[in-house]
Amino acid sequence: MRLEFQNVSYSYAGKEAERTGKKRKKRDRQAEWGNSPDARWALREVSFAVEPGEFLGIAGHTGSGKSTLIQHMNGLLHPTEGRVLADGADLARKEVATEVRARVGLVFQYPESQLFAPTVFEDVAFGPRNFGVPADELEERVRESMERVGLSFDELRDRSPFSLSGGQQRRVAFAGVLACRPEVLVLDEPAAGLDPRSREDFLAMVKQLHAQGTTVVMVSHSMDDLYALATRILVMSEGRVLRLGAPEEVFADGDALTAVGLGLPAPVRFANSLREANFPLPKGLHSEESLASAIADALEGSLHE
Amino acid sequence: MNRVLLGQYWPEESLVHRMDPRVKFLLSLALIVAIFCAATPASLAVAALFVLVFYGFAHIPPLTALRSIGPLLVLVLFTALLNVLFVQGGEVYFQWWIICVSEKGLQSAAFIAVRLLLLLMAVSLLTLTTTTLDITAAFERLLAPFARVGLPAHEMGMILGIALRFLPQFAQELATVYRAQVSRGARFTANPFRGGLQSLTALMVPLFSSAFRHADTLSQAMDARCYHGGTGVTRLHPLRCTWRDAAGTAAVAAMFAAVLVVNAL
Amino acid sequence: MSHASDSQFVNFRDTAFSYDGKTLVFDGLNLSVPQGQFLCLLGGNGSGKSTIAKHINALLVPDAGEVEVFGKNTADPEFTYFIRSNAGLVFQNPDDQLVASLIENDVAFGPENLGIPNPELRQRVTDALAEVGLQGFEEHETFALSGGQKQRVAIAGILAMDPAILILDEATAMLDPRGRKGLMRVVRQLHEEGMTIVMITHFMEEAAQAQRIVVLDKGRIRMDGVPDEVLVRAEELQELSLEVPFACRLSLELRRRGVDVRPCITEEALKEELCALNSKM
Repeated sequence: MRLEFQNVSYSYAGKEAERTGKKRKKRDRQAEWGNSPDARWALREVSFAVEPGEFLGIAGHTGSGKSTLIQHMNGLLHPTEGRVLADGADLARKEVATEVRARVGLVFQYPESQLFAPTVFEDVAFGPRNFGVPADELEERVRESMERVGLSFDELRDRSPFSLSGGQQRRVAFAGVLACRPEVLVLDEPAAGLDPRSREDFLAMVKQLHAQGTTVVMVSHSMDDLYALATRILVMSEGRVLRLGAPEEVFADGDALTAVGLGLPAPVRFANSLREANFPLPKGLHSEESLASAIADALEGSLHE
Repeated sequence: MNRVLLGQYWPEESLVHRMDPRVKFLLSLALIVAIFCAATPASLAVAALFVLVFYGFAHIPPLTALRSIGPLLVLVLFTALLNVLFVQGGEVYFQWWIICVSEKGLQSAAFIAVRLLLLLMAVSLLTLTTTTLDITAAFERLLAPFARVGLPAHEMGMILGIALRFLPQFAQELATVYRAQVSRGARFTANPFRGGLQSLTALMVPLFSSAFRHADTLSQAMDARCYHGGTGVTRLHPLRCTWRDAAGTAAVAAMFAAVLVVNAL
Repeated sequence: MSHASDSQFVNFRDTAFSYDGKTLVFDGLNLSVPQGQFLCLLGGNGSGKSTIAKHINALLVPDAGEVEVFGKNTADPEFTYFIRSNAGLVFQNPDDQLVASLIENDVAFGPENLGIPNPELRQRVTDALAEVGLQGFEEHETFALSGGQKQRVAIAGILAMDPAILILDEATAMLDPRGRKGLMRVVRQLHEEGMTIVMITHFMEEAAQAQRIVVLDKGRIRMDGVPDEVLVRAEELQELSLEVPFACRLSLELRRRGVDVRPCITEEALKEELCALNSKM
């Protein structure tokens, strides 16, 4: 599915955002330094498209509009101005949004906080059941999605999700979205608050899903994760699109990113700082391995001069 | 969504803001009684005048006061409408089918609407000029005499304060869970007997389990900050009566007197 | 406060603890923290680091052995409030530990409980907020703050009790990078002013700023030393499901390729090493 944003602006206050008066000003002042959603525009003139099969990384710090942006992707929020099209159909139409929700899976931050059912099975089956998957197909769906997130179906199906560890709870919540078999998977900080081991496992899982053909949109604070996984990166700042392109292009302009308080991925950052110190290093050093080889070559080179 | 709470605090440095919340709490009650005492349009007008003057002293524009009442205005209009329809007498202005608008009906509607509006404004004057924490403190202090007969006044105040502190947070969490479940295809408007009930648990269970989680850590965090009940505790804002409170009391007394005198005229 | 003659602020002696009376979180744990130290506790889930943090604050008391803070036994109820006010604890979730709706009231909560009267109380609130860079925000609502700001308010609430030890139990885990940096700046500054810090974190760039790192595994101390020694032990760290800092991973890759660099934990140090090599050649 192709999700196209056409000149989308969004204001939490809706169309009557022009409330004036002293109180309003006080609240605005607070919005400037807090992350209260009262600021005038959460999104401003955003145009881009999520292309089928890509892994789109979204960067930007808190309050840049990332969360608002992704909630437009399955019609939870509708643009105040502009349109969001799913394969050409306008998501502002209710029947389109309902239909698209089954095909665009949205995983919120800390998704384990939405678990509710008495058993893991029931919780994972909630989505598919709502979307009208026949009862005899449910078990297969649940089994498949639990296996995809690395949980044992037979062991856990009848357990209460609340008796599981935090990391397992997050997997269950994730399985609950995967069970709807979404074509597009939208993830908001999927690894937030996890310990390093679970983080790695989780990101490997996302990578695997993408490799198997799911379109992935992932919001992350970690430039390293985005650099390692995404095929394209969208940088948001103050509700606008600051940069959009291949990771190489986006991270080539380090100054623009640091200006809005974002960092560079560690390999890029370190390579840049070595180039300043007259190390002749090539572009495109994604990993420690490639960076190490390039540095070794550079040192070798200066030895032969 | 942010403004549904009746008369959220309006930060300002006015006479009324700096009054002792206990006194304000009691005076608000007195204000309500005075408004109820106003039995004639003239005395109600006097009461209205006083309320507007009080708002003036609080440096709050009356329009803001109305906005803070917000959704409750519907209640005022509804009550007024009922009066128009059910109170009959005097000249008839309009009649169609069973609907009949008469002179008495309009008078009574106007009177009730103004009275209700004034009552709401009186309550909101307290909440607009007093932080929830101060209201809690006032509540706790006013209950303190009953502590001797076993009423946990301090604890009740603390509970109220924490409830108020967590209210906006739960509203936000509820909104997030709602969106998450809608993303999983939940329909909250559907027939409650067909899947709707499960959707409702899908909202409430996460909210409650989150509340319990919050409560668990919060109690530890309070312990870690030496919370041990109400004994030997000081306050950042000690409650003290000043000339402002005397002046406020005098003003409300004057209002009472004026209302009663005009009533009798 | 009156400092114990012993320069060790915190002393765990053969401490054992279990939440349910069956599984021991730790057993025979010995750990001391001297005055003024910036200590970082690392460990995977279930390694016992949070439980240690709660012992220093007397929120938990050991089943066996003893924990002394400022020379006072935490199990003695007479010292509970003394210890809690002098060893402040900041929790992980910023939404779970603020008590009041307004910032100043929240910061005042601790000292109010200690019975500090005005004007000292007011002064403490003002000073504590200035310390965390939130001066002038007394009357703002806690709800409208970002996560990083909430955590700074939480620290201010602890500072207002005038503690000698600040314990941070994964206080940065739920923050964005900007919030984390802001919080670490506050922590470093407090340490420079003499505060003893005990910090639990998963982030290696934060751990690298400590003076000493203790790595825990299932309630036992596996490593104990300065960051330069501990954080370069890549294989052991990975085995304990901990991250290895980028600079260290890179220096190990370089060594594998025959480049003779010391394993470094910060990028600055590694860059210096490489530049030295480059000029030598």
